[in-house]
Amino acid sequence: MKSFSQGLRVQVKVIKALIVRELVTRFGRDNIGFLWIVAEPLLFAGLVGFVWTFIRGVDKGGISVVAFVVTGYIPLTFLRHSFGRSAKIFQSNSALLYHRQVKILDFILVRVTIEAIGAMTAYIFAGTVLYFFGSFPIPANVGSLILGWFVYVFFVMSISTALAPLSEMSEVIEKLVPVSVYIAIPFSGVFNLAEWLTPTMREVLMWSPMASGMELMRYGVFGDLITPYYDLSKAFGVSLVLLLVGLTLCRRVRRMITVS
Amino acid sequence: MIICSDIYKEYHVGKVTKSVLCGVDFSINPRERIGLLGRNGAGKSTLIRLIGGVEMPTSGKITRKMSCSWPLGFSGGFQGSLTGYDNARFIARIYDKPYSEMRAFVEEFTELGVNLHMPVKQYSSGMRARLAFALSLAIEFECYLIDEVIMVGDKNFREKCKKHFFEGRRDRALLLASHSLPTVRQYCNRAIVLDNGVAQMYEDVNEAIAVYEAL
Repeated sequence: MKSFSQGLRVQVKVIKALIVRELVTRFGRDNIGFLWIVAEPLLFAGLVGFVWTFIRGVDKGGISVVAFVVTGYIPLTFLRHSFGRSAKIFQSNSALLYHRQVKILDFILVRVTIEAIGAMTAYIFAGTVLYFFGSFPIPANVGSLILGWFVYVFFVMSISTALAPLSEMSEVIEKLVPVSVYIAIPFSGVFNLAEWLTPTMREVLMWSPMASGMELMRYGVFGDLITPYYDLSKAFGVSLVLLLVGLTLCRRVRRMITVS
Repeated sequence: MIICSDIYKEYHVGKVTKSVLCGVDFSINPRERIGLLGRNGAGKSTLIRLIGGVEMPTSGKITRKMSCSWPLGFSGGFQGSLTGYDNARFIARIYDKPYSEMRAFVEEFTELGVNLHMPVKQYSSGMRARLAFALSLAIEFECYLIDEVIMVGDKNFREKCKKHFFEGRRDRALLLASHSLPTVRQYCNRAIVLDNGVAQMYEDVNEAIAVYEAL
């Protein structure tokens, strides 16, 4: 038990150091730094929301279109960045493996954590800005919003844990990673609500933890303006199975990693 | 003590399988200074990377009962895009050392001055060697794994290594891969010759050197 808590303490230190290092390498000291993670999805969501407002009108059933796009697009950005950065993550970080206390799982954990923190900051920031323009409500149910994010992040983390070793094992999978994001869109509930679907399709959608997470987030923001559909046991079950597959693959791949 | 038992290492590139190590067996005791000899491509760096835990053996087991440095070489252990100071800060954090001490030691040992504010990828190999040594000496390991890097230094650096490392830390163990026979003769008390994936330990360094030269 002592060695476990000691190991945990070391890992916490390593993860902290890696997060700082990642921020410094990715954004540089002279750059606008962490702000960009926040600004990028905000910019995109703002533009898409703006265009949609022209096409579909300002709101749909009392929900502002801009707010709807922002709540969908920011989690999608997080997913896209996390998947994209998981590809070949072990090779690109292999110099760090010179230090034995750095584990390959730390790489994934750090990347996904940074992306998640960035996306959540963007979410809060965008919400606050839009609130002053009158197109974002005060979240109706903060608990549901947080639970939704948790479901979503846990799923993205699980997929990344599997994608990272797979991209290392096969060139084809590495090339397919960007495609996987587009496959994910219809199942992610980004641009649609489950209540707009037929009951059969809704049943199928419940196998997607992204959809459950998104519905919970949206319910957290818009409250009773929408009827959320989610299935927590399916969401966590699917994520957990993927995570276990990922961890097994990581263990196998670690033996094959060559560091030049 | 570090024990390598029956280490095999194979690399797969496409359909080609290359066996680098085929059953390496030896151990490093505390205070022991072992030279590692072998021709280019014999597997010296591979063996050092396995002992350092950078890569994993295909089969066999490495048991570490003393703290063991990362393999000190030209590239490993650094992030090229980060500055010397940033690398020092990162290493201080993950090895749980106060950064102020680390910084002072690195400045004193490397004598790199303003270069420490530059990305490591712009360093010459001699400058990298200085930084690698400074960082690992600041951490204080019981066993140091050195892959060639000593030999690129200038006279001043070699004197420093001698003072801090070979004289100041006589109680540390050492595994030194090198083609510089005088260095091995001067600092090592045993030597391993690596040939055809098998390691042969010699208690007498001069005997090992004779075998290596006959390869």
